[in-house]
Amino acid sequence: MPNIFKKKNASEAVVGKWDLSAGDEGFDSEKAQKQEKIKHIVKEVFVYVFLTLCAVLAFLPFYWMIISSLKTEMEFRESVPTFFPHTFQWKNYWMIFHQVTTTTGTSASFGQILVNTLVVGLLSTLLGLVVIIITAYALARMEFKGKNLLFAIMLATMMIPGELFTVSNYITVAKLHMNNSYTVLILPFLVSVYYIYLLRNNFMQIPNSLYQAAKVDGLSDMGYLIKVMIPLTAPTLISITLLRFIGTWNSYIWPRLVNTQSWQMITNWVTGGFVDRVQPDGFSLYGGDYGTTSLDTLKMAAVCMVSLPLLVLFIFCRKYIMRGVSKSGTKG
Amino acid sequence: MEENKDNIDPMPETPPKKHNRFVQYFINLGARIKGWFVDKYTAIKDFFVGLFKKKPQEELVPEGPQLSRGEKFRRGLKSQSGWLFVAPALILMAIFTFYPIIAAFINSFKQGYSGMTGRFDGWGFDNFVRVLKGDTGTGGADFVQCLVNTLVLTFISVPLSTLLALLISVALNSIKKVQKAYQTVLFLPYLTNALAMGAVFATFFKIIGTANNTETVGIVNIVLGWFGISPVDWVGLTSPHWQIGSLSIPWAKYIVAIIYEVWSGLPFKILILFSAMQSINKQYYDAAKVDGASRWTILWHITAPMIMPQISYLLVTGIMGGMKQYSAIVGLFGVTMGQDYDMGTMVGYLYNYIELGQTGYAFAGSLMLFIIIMIITWINNKVTKKRTTYR
Repeated sequence: MPNIFKKKNASEAVVGKWDLSAGDEGFDSEKAQKQEKIKHIVKEVFVYVFLTLCAVLAFLPFYWMIISSLKTEMEFRESVPTFFPHTFQWKNYWMIFHQVTTTTGTSASFGQILVNTLVVGLLSTLLGLVVIIITAYALARMEFKGKNLLFAIMLATMMIPGELFTVSNYITVAKLHMNNSYTVLILPFLVSVYYIYLLRNNFMQIPNSLYQAAKVDGLSDMGYLIKVMIPLTAPTLISITLLRFIGTWNSYIWPRLVNTQSWQMITNWVTGGFVDRVQPDGFSLYGGDYGTTSLDTLKMAAVCMVSLPLLVLFIFCRKYIMRGVSKSGTKG
Repeated sequence: MEENKDNIDPMPETPPKKHNRFVQYFINLGARIKGWFVDKYTAIKDFFVGLFKKKPQEELVPEGPQLSRGEKFRRGLKSQSGWLFVAPALILMAIFTFYPIIAAFINSFKQGYSGMTGRFDGWGFDNFVRVLKGDTGTGGADFVQCLVNTLVLTFISVPLSTLLALLISVALNSIKKVQKAYQTVLFLPYLTNALAMGAVFATFFKIIGTANNTETVGIVNIVLGWFGISPVDWVGLTSPHWQIGSLSIPWAKYIVAIIYEVWSGLPFKILILFSAMQSINKQYYDAAKVDGASRWTILWHITAPMIMPQISYLLVTGIMGGMKQYSAIVGLFGVTMGQDYDMGTMVGYLYNYIELGQTGYAFAGSLMLFIIIMIITWINNKVTKKRTTYR
């Protein structure tokens, strides 16, 4: 029987409903509608269950990260894991802030690392923005010999994986004696061809009549750029700012290669080991029971410190971040 | 007629002197030459005078040919002032982008090259041969192992996550209530620190020792235990693996890495596919419904072809990103990328050799990575050109 209902198309069903002369047909279609409705509900339920499962799995690592960071190490190691901590051990966070020695042997406190990350993030974002804006402006609005060739070469470098540059750059900065400084973290990444390309396209979309109107009003080129073009492309600029800062926050490889621990960034800090270290005043979480073993609860607290700011940023600036990322397919 | 003529010219006083025909010819010639000279002279005189005399103001046209040299130069310079604007970017790119490209091509052919001192033993393919053979004599990562790992992880996780993203997008597209809430939660892993979340995933799989008489085999092993599967050491030192010659296939670690990569790759793929599905004209669906098409038919014959460009875009960017993966592996398996670099990736290989100070091998490795990515790009272009003709 169900086969018949499957084959029945919409127009036929409508005819069946209104054609009173076909008594049997009417009965059948009513039944069919009922069956269709049940089928629809079953499908709907299935879809919702599937989506709920996916949503739970998507959120689970975040939840696990947060609760693990608040558990005691004993509770974390229980053979049946608890999905809500018996006791909240906020001291885990206190411990990672006061951790200065990691398994790699070099020292860097959380405060130092945070200052590094914020300074490099802000400087690299602001300077990068200036470079990107003036370059995009020149490429979009000014006429000079070789402009198109230059732009083509710049775009061509996007094809080449950045890893190809890293080896040479590593040697270059070592020869320039730039190791262990903020400069070395900022300078090589100031120019981003993709953002220049994005902003240039944005600038090109601004009608030329606006430029002429500004000229009539006696605005200089620079004034036009600052007073007209930048406000008009603000959404793109906000996207670029956010993505650049996130990129700096997540940078791991380059700081590890060129700088020692006290000059590195927050992501490098997370890769270190976190042990229950006996503090100068004699305080320790577990009385030194775990020795120099890296503890997962402390590590999860560190992971929270790196991940939660990103999560908060994402929730509040989702629109701008997505706009930037969905075009490039890359993060930062 | 003759009389008339005389009447008109009544006074033919001093008629022009009749010359000899030849003389007359020369006189005429002289007059013509003089006229020619006079014409030329005035022209030349005007030219020279014009050259040194200042032109009146109204004759100065902006881009006229009669600009003074200084003015021309000044104007030319001003029209090229765009270079001033691109100069900062250009200088930085020259140092950190253009030079490294050239250097990578040159230095990878220097045998026994040391980046710091610039010393090398000679030219040749020695670096490439040693990298491919794994004969670097430094105890670092093995290139073939890294290449196999990268290819396996990429070509399993990218299609898998794309397929899963397609399923989720279809499901998300078919519901009407609380669509927004699901969307938000599913997009949460969108912006994460690959290394930090890798560390979280590692705790799911980790077997922890017996300090203080407590131990856990990790959530995944507990769940598997419900189905009677004994615990597997997924990420630790005794992780199971197959051995093929010198190549190790750490399948347990592969599974962990693939699960992580699917999880972290999904949100972006859902975003792209879902927004593509939302933008499909509803009339197609209405027309299909009127024609009595089933849900499956609609999905297969309308939705799939319409979002084909997005799917191929996701595959391309996913494979490109997968070939360059590194941070996630460090997060999951630590800085040494598993045991003896058995989970090394190609990018991990480069950094390993930079840190070992073997820049010659690092250059050779980076060049090979570049060539492999170029080949994949080329294949992608070939394939996607065929696929995207749906639009």
